[in-house]
Parts: sequence; structure tokens; C-alpha cells
Amino acid sequence: MSFRALSFLKICSPQFIQARHGHRIRGVRPGVAKSLVEKLNPKIEDEELVRRFDIGFPYERTPRSLEFRTRYEHLKKQKKDFNFEKKARSNQLEIDLEDVKNEWLKSAGPLQLRKIAEHYGIYNDLFGKFAYFVPRVEMSIRYAIDKDNYHPVFNGNRLEPSQTKQAPEVSFNHKFSISYKEKPEEDTMWTLILTNPDGHLTKENSEYVHWMITNIPKNDIAKGEQIVPYLQSIPFKGTGYHRYIFVLYKQDKKLDFSEFKLENEKNLGDRTFSTFDFYKKYQDFITPAGLSFFQTKWDESVGELLHNQFDMKQPIFEYDFPRAFLKYQKWFPKKQPFNLYLDRYADPKEVNKRYLEQRLAKTHPFEGPEPKLLYPNAQPLKKEIPSWYRTEMRKERLGRGRIIDTE
Amino acid sequence: MVRPRVFPHNKQILKRIKNTVSPVESEKYIINRNPRNLEFLRIAAKPKGYHLDTPFSKECNYWHKLVVTPSAKFVTAQLVHHQNGPVIEASTKEWAIKKQLYKTSDLSAYTNLAKVFAQRCLESGIHEMSTKPYSGTKIEKFMEILQENGLNLNESPEINSKPDPNINRYQGRKMTPIDWKDIVEHH
Repeated sequence: MSFRALSFLKICSPQFIQARHGHRIRGVRPGVAKSLVEKLNPKIEDEELVRRFDIGFPYERTPRSLEFRTRYEHLKKQKKDFNFEKKARSNQLEIDLEDVKNEWLKSAGPLQLRKIAEHYGIYNDLFGKFAYFVPRVEMSIRYAIDKDNYHPVFNGNRLEPSQTKQAPEVSFNHKFSISYKEKPEEDTMWTLILTNPDGHLTKENSEYVHWMITNIPKNDIAKGEQIVPYLQSIPFKGTGYHRYIFVLYKQDKKLDFSEFKLENEKNLGDRTFSTFDFYKKYQDFITPAGLSFFQTKWDESVGELLHNQFDMKQPIFEYDFPRAFLKYQKWFPKKQPFNLYLDRYADPKEVNKRYLEQRLAKTHPFEGPEPKLLYPNAQPLKKEIPSWYRTEMRKERLGRGRIIDTE
Repeated sequence: MVRPRVFPHNKQILKRIKNTVSPVESEKYIINRNPRNLEFLRIAAKPKGYHLDTPFSKECNYWHKLVVTPSAKFVTAQLVHHQNGPVIEASTKEWAIKKQLYKTSDLSAYTNLAKVFAQRCLESGIHEMSTKPYSGTKIEKFMEILQENGLNLNESPEINSKPDPNINRYQGRKMTPIDWKDIVEHH
């Protein structure tokens, strides 16, 4: 103690006033040292190991010089139209949204669809980290309600499981070409697969196949071989939104996929599927060309289907929030209220249950809970009651503490 | 060079932290791999920004954000995700839209662009996004039409799994300090 006081005196005296002469650089000097951006994104030595591959079809667009002429003439013609100008100036111009979509799909659309699919992690979950493709062939998929009304499937729109009970109507443009110069092929073969990568009950990182049709000649789905019959979407209760993904592959020749046939239709486990393994085996003869998907959440029709078709009890899930990080529990915790200390380490569900039971014991089945006291702090508490229980009673009267969770 | 600090050093503590996240043994679980699922269920965390950012750091506190960039000749609308960047885009530069317009930056261009943008968002399953307040007759009209077409421009807040820090479980609800001045003035 005395030593410390002495040293303090020494430093404070005018002989030992500390001063900083100049600035000394700590670490490597700026310019040579890595910047913050470089530190956060470390440079990869061998980029070939991380490269991603396009497994789909390329497409050669019409050159800009050719496009430009026709576009320029179109705009010039439109500008001269007097009525058209009048509409635009009075804000009554309504553009044709269908025409916009068709034109978009011919130009920048497929590249933007790839971006959206990447946002939903579809290539990552189906084809692994290192593969992607651009959906070149547009599909129109729709679930019929009546003769004229449909629930269409786009790229990620939300549907309900009850809307997807029957197999959808699928059509696509089967005339296929890689470049604008080439004449499109007429006789083509296709396979269509519908899978769900989210929510396999037993095996991690695998999918359920819901529909599989192979060897589709041209555009006619009815003439293709149905390997796996259609099953409606089954997102389980409490698991959130599942993706149901249609992938269209172009075949080079007729192929035999009979190994994927179901042995027993009443067993959900038989529908286990892996797109990665499937594509790995047949990659020399098939290429992914079309993609579209929808998202669904639990619905009452899921339970009915599981009961009727699979003789299964409906599983119910709950999101597992990260649990609290606590100290090791002690045998003799000092200065801790014993009841609250024990509650902290008990199962939170059981503690909540206890509080709920306490609450329900005091509520009348017909007349409801007891009326609240007007001045709860003014009501006297008996001195014979132990102090910890008195505070509990006080908290209950004021409606504070953990009992709030049960409300 | 200064070595980056590793936290925490103790292997036992690391193991215990891992246990708080991993599922309990003998309990059945499934993993939903949909990366947008937790955002739609409002469980995922929104980025909160740095301490000295704008008040409540509204500018970076979002999952999806609408960004409109008007220029002298064109308008572009983008849907930006906080990690993946721009995801959906619609612009009057595109031939598909420009083809049917008289001018690419007048009021009718804004109204029609809003319809196209709303359609693209709904078709890809995104109904909610946050925006910063824009001013100007054209952009306000743009926002109006987005809402008419079914987009929600106020993104809903995240669900707080943790207990409210204002509630002290062991001593009841925290009271706000009383201003004695106010009481004196009233009487």
C-alpha cells in the first residue's frame, strides 16, 4: 500500500511528467497491411476449387444492331400517334402486362429468374454448391379450380395445400433452339420432376419426390411415362413455408427411369429422393432447362391426407429458439431467492404450466377470474406468512413477474 | 501483426454455447432449408446497425427494402435484400416496358412501372418490404399504386424470443421515473 502511494507521488512530481514524442505505428503500416474489406473477404488461392458451373443451356441472343432498327422504327411510329400521346399526358395509359411479361422472358427475364432462384437457395439445395442454370424454357403450370379459374405457379408465389390436391396442368414451348440463328428442334423429349427439399421426416438434406413424368414427347404430358404418381403438398404443422420445385429436363434420347418407381404407395419413406444423385447419374443425357416453384404453409388438408393415405399421426413441430446460457447450477447459491433460482434451471414449459394451473385454480368456470383489487398495495398481508411467499402474493395482485407469460 | 482475438478460449464453454442451439437428444426434429422461411415467419433477426448509426438505424433495419432511383430520363425500382443485394428489378430502360410507353419518366411511366414491379414481387412470393420516405408527386403516386396492387410497404417487426429487457422478472415491471415537477404543477 505504501509502495503504491510513493509511486503515485513520483509520477505526479514535475520531474516525471510523461509526454508522447511523435507517433509510433503499431502493426504493419497502412498501404502494406490488409484493409478491412480484404480482411473480411479473404482472398482464395485457388479459384478453380470454388468456381461455379453453368449446367444448363447457353443462349445466343439476336445482335443489338438488328434489334435496334426494328425498335427504333416502332418507337418513331408510336410517337406520331396523337391519341397515344393524349392518353400518356393525361395519365390514362395502361400497358398490357401480359405482353410485358412475354417480352421480358425473351430478353432479361431468364437471368433475373436465376437471381430469384438463387435468393431462395434452390440451386444450392438441389444441385449442390457449385452448379446453377438459367431457366431458358418457360413453363406455364396451373392448378384448376373451375373451368376458367386457376391457381398459377410462378417463381415462389404462395399457395395453400388444399389448392394443390389434383395434379396441375403443365404446358411449355417444346420447340427448342440454343441460338437465334438455328432452326428450333421439333421432336424433343422431356422429363418433369416435382420435389420438396424442406421437411424430410427422417433423413437430413434429402427430398420427397411428389411427381415424376419421364419421356414426354413434345408438349404432351399425358403421353409421358408416369414414374411417380402425383401427391399433394404436405408442409407439416409448425415448419413454416416449404418450397415445391418443378424442374424440367431436356432428354437427348429415350431413357429408362424405372428404378425410381414406388414399391408401396402407402409408404411416405419410399418417396425419398435426391436430385443431386439423380442428375449425377444421368448428366450425360439430360440437361435442366425449365424451373418454377411455389411456397406453401400448413393447412387442414395436410392432416386429412396423412390420416387417409399413409395411416400416420400428424406430426406437429415448434421452432426451437436458442436456449438461455446459464451459469453452472450450485448446491448452495448465496444471496439468491431460492424459488426463482430453481425456476431458472427448470424446464420453462413446466414452470409456465405451474403458473397457469395456479391461475386456473382461482378462476370460476362460469363467472371468470376474481375481480382485481382496487388498491392492491393497501391490503394487509399476515405476518405469519413467510416473506418469499408474501412477495409472490404481492406480485400476483399487481400482475407482475412471470405470471405475465400465461396471460 | 496483432493476432485476431478468438472468443471464447475455453473449449467447455464453446461446447455449452453450441448445446444451446443444437436440438436436444432423443427429440425428433426437421430442418427447413428454405432460406427465406424464418424471415416470412418473422423469427430471423434484422440487422440492427452500429451504435452511432441513424436513430434506431432504420436505414439498415430491414429484410427487404424498396429502392427507387429516378434519373432525368428513366426510373428503376429494385427490391434489395440485406444480404443478397438487389433481387427483383423493374426499369423503364427495359425494352419490354419502354415499348409501350410514350415517355420513360413521366407520370404514366411511373404508374405503369409500379404495376409491373408489384406483379413481379407477388409472383416471387414477397409481399412486404420497407421503404424510406420519398417525396415528390410522381414517386408518391408510385407508392400508392404499389399498395393498391397488394404490396405492404411497412415491413412487420421481428418476433422477440428473448424476454423484454424492460421487465425485470424478479422484481416485477420496471417503473418509469416520476417527474415531481409535473405533479407539483398540476396541483
